[in-house]
Amino acid sequence: MSGDINQSPYSRRHRKSSSENSEEDRVSIPGLTVKAVQLEHLAATCVEFFDEKGNVLDDSSFPRLLFLMHRWFMSSEELAKQFVQLYHSNNAQDCKAPECDQTGHDDSCPVNMDKMKVCHALRYWISNFPVHFDLDSGLSTIMSEFQDLLKTEGNSHLHHIIDISNVPSYDWMRVISVRHPSVRTNRKVSLVFNRVEPKELADHLTYLEYKIFRRVNFSDLKSYALTGHLRDNLKLERSIGLFNGISQWIQCMVLSRHTPRQRAEVITKFVEVAKRLRRLKNFNTLMAVVGGLTHSCLARLRQTYAHVSSETQKTISEMTELLTSASNFTNYRKALQEAKGFKIPILGVHLKDLILLHTALPDRTDDGCINFLKVAKLSVTFQELLQLQHCKPPVEPSMDLVNMLRASLDLQYTEDEIYELSLAREPRGSSSTPPTPTQTPVFAEWASGISCHRDKDTINKHVSAMVDAVFKNYDTDKDGYITYNDFQSIATNFPFMDSFCVLDADRDGVISKSEMKTYFVRAHSLALSASFKHSFHVHTYLSPTFCVHCTGLLWGLIKQGVKCRICGINAHKHCKDRVVMECRSKKTSVNGLQRRHTMDGLPKELATSVESNGDFTNSILTLEHKRRISMKTHMVQQATQTDSLESTPKHGMVSPGPDLTSFHDPFPLCNGNHSLDGNSPSSSPKSVSLTSDQEESEHGGIICNGRRLSELSEDDGSSFGDRQSLAESDASSVFKSTPGDDPPNGIWEKLKGENQTQYLQWY
Amino acid sequence: MREYKVVVLGSGGVGKSALTVQFVSGNFVEKYDPTIEDFYRKAIEVENTMAILEILDTAGTEQFASMRDLYIRNGQGFVIVYSVTSKQSHQDVVVLREQIIRVKGTENVPMVLVGNKADLEPDRQVPTSEGMILANEWEVPFYETSAKRCINVNEVFADCVVEIMRLQDPHKHKKRKCCTVI
Repeated sequence: MSGDINQSPYSRRHRKSSSENSEEDRVSIPGLTVKAVQLEHLAATCVEFFDEKGNVLDDSSFPRLLFLMHRWFMSSEELAKQFVQLYHSNNAQDCKAPECDQTGHDDSCPVNMDKMKVCHALRYWISNFPVHFDLDSGLSTIMSEFQDLLKTEGNSHLHHIIDISNVPSYDWMRVISVRHPSVRTNRKVSLVFNRVEPKELADHLTYLEYKIFRRVNFSDLKSYALTGHLRDNLKLERSIGLFNGISQWIQCMVLSRHTPRQRAEVITKFVEVAKRLRRLKNFNTLMAVVGGLTHSCLARLRQTYAHVSSETQKTISEMTELLTSASNFTNYRKALQEAKGFKIPILGVHLKDLILLHTALPDRTDDGCINFLKVAKLSVTFQELLQLQHCKPPVEPSMDLVNMLRASLDLQYTEDEIYELSLAREPRGSSSTPPTPTQTPVFAEWASGISCHRDKDTINKHVSAMVDAVFKNYDTDKDGYITYNDFQSIATNFPFMDSFCVLDADRDGVISKSEMKTYFVRAHSLALSASFKHSFHVHTYLSPTFCVHCTGLLWGLIKQGVKCRICGINAHKHCKDRVVMECRSKKTSVNGLQRRHTMDGLPKELATSVESNGDFTNSILTLEHKRRISMKTHMVQQATQTDSLESTPKHGMVSPGPDLTSFHDPFPLCNGNHSLDGNSPSSSPKSVSLTSDQEESEHGGIICNGRRLSELSEDDGSSFGDRQSLAESDASSVFKSTPGDDPPNGIWEKLKGENQTQYLQWY
Repeated sequence: MREYKVVVLGSGGVGKSALTVQFVSGNFVEKYDPTIEDFYRKAIEVENTMAILEILDTAGTEQFASMRDLYIRNGQGFVIVYSVTSKQSHQDVVVLREQIIRVKGTENVPMVLVGNKADLEPDRQVPTSEGMILANEWEVPFYETSAKRCINVNEVFADCVVEIMRLQDPHKHKKRKCCTVI
């Protein structure tokens, strides 16, 4: 009988008896007896492991491995074709049995039995890896064609075996961001960092992590293992971006606080977050949090750590011990093994395993066969990383906080900047070694292979989601405006955000939705333009002129303030270093949104010069009106100045630390600087409410070394290839204020230089 | 026997993992399992004493900023790798050294500079002299290696241990400056 399993042409060739491969098999997967197979015999070898009822013989792991890992060396389409061919080759051999019509009705016919096995092998594939059939259109086409063929042959029962119409939809894998109907129930949580419970924070970070991690698929991992870089690997890049974003966010949140005690409080909070993450078995985020907390720029803060309780310090060291790289991450690997149910492995560790395995083992054996030993070893790591696709996180997120976190984690600083801030907070003691980074380090092109592309639309969308969430929760009277006090609490979420009056562009004492959006979008685009530095010179004004930064009048008879030679904005001498407006040439035509923001400070002749742009007519008409308001506000402000000085902490006054008294903070905090220039919120007229019911959405994302993670949200597939519009986007930091007076401390200068270098290298 | 932690750093694709694999397992890759505890440990003889090396390979984790910081803090000695076939990777090592010095808080860090892939002579972009100049400036040993042909691989790690020993006991181990190329 030609179809007998023992007579199959492939059955014995590649199997070895247990005595032959004792050494190697110890490290391979139990149940795997196939060491190497020729590429073209994969389907045939696989079919041998099935009986005509569809059971897997000998509990072999070969079929599972093959279907899980075949994309390492061939496409799913090719493998499916092999199966179809195998089926046809059975047709070629005529059944010797008399009266056999070979239509599948005769179960004793060996040809039919072989055909059945082929179908059962495919059935196994469909039921164990349905995702392949949903996502790979080439594969599903072949399967449909094959199904049609079976139908015409009259093999109705075989036709049913390989039916793929019941494969569940994996739409969420296709796109980067999908709304989750199950989580639309919005719990009310605080969006203010100081008031968010560590548990909430951990849960929401886990949710974000889960959403991004589970989209990383086989081919993303394979491409990274083969090439070692992230080019065109957006999903993985997003995941790594989230990881880095969390670490940096923690560092920035800690360093944004002025006193050691305040910093210690933030550290303690994040340690609580870490504890919760451990319980959630979210090792990846845990690694990011612990990595952030123990990062050298925080670890060196002795004064701060003096305020951290010994218990918390003990927890930190326990966590560090758990995640240590010593002995090949053995502590972590054990913990991961023990963890059951929902868990998120540390991406970096397993990527490293993949790369090392790939380096060490050849894809093919000496005789050109597929090295199944390697495939088996790779599969262990792949399974670890892909298991998340079938899990659900044990958290119930509030989309508002998710959106808020997304925006918060979007900060993108270089390590050098953060370290410099760390040095500024607690300068090196005399006992330690002298400062080494005397020269500006070459910018970290070291994070190689990552390009910095940003899409304005995505930024807008993303900012919108966050701002909507803020308004939903903090605009208590639903009039579409955020008041001064609400703003202060929100501002603590963004370590280096500007003061209230910078956001309140029209100076009406409250922040409207569009003002906040404009600010955040602009904050992203600030660094997009290389020309951020103004060319100020002292100027004598003949008519009353106002400062663009603090909106105050430029006092005096002569030399009242400074004027930029290029863009013509005016400012106080003491304000000039804090101006956050972009320096644009008068002739440049720009988009209305951004210009509107700078309009207030522009001299009249400039304002009229852009009038022809049409978009601005409205703004110009109201310009004078606004100026009157701002003048009024200014008066009020003068009157209340003493009060606000008392009520609002100003750095240097509130902090007892010796480090701060002498240091001019290059990152003025919103609650540090507003007292002098902030408008009185309630004293100004408020225009009519215009709340548009914008639906809260789940857009947005994280920048990964420059690329915004949300670039791939579900409905902007176009941004995949839309590189040109992104080319101008080269920001490396957002929400950042202007530099201090001291040029050596001028992080901006440095940043700009680096940005330019970066820019040149990329394009 | 003392144990030394050596971190292998360098940008992606310079052959760090090949170097590590070559050192820890030679050609016996059949038994290769990078997840076991002792995988990255190897005993070698350095200056007539036995030493155990634990290699921290950063391959695959280059992009994880805070993990890199952890690695650097845990490491005692550093093997900084660039590829002689990539000008960029040679420029990257400068940034890496900056970071190591910053994290360690001192310029006196045991370090070995390595130009890998020296077997790919036709594709060479970084002349040997450039590596030597950099190593001289840093006052660290310099090697050009080929992980593929196993040239200078063991020497790199042995020398890194010597550098660590020298830092721990400056009188016993004299400062030596040597550049070895193939």
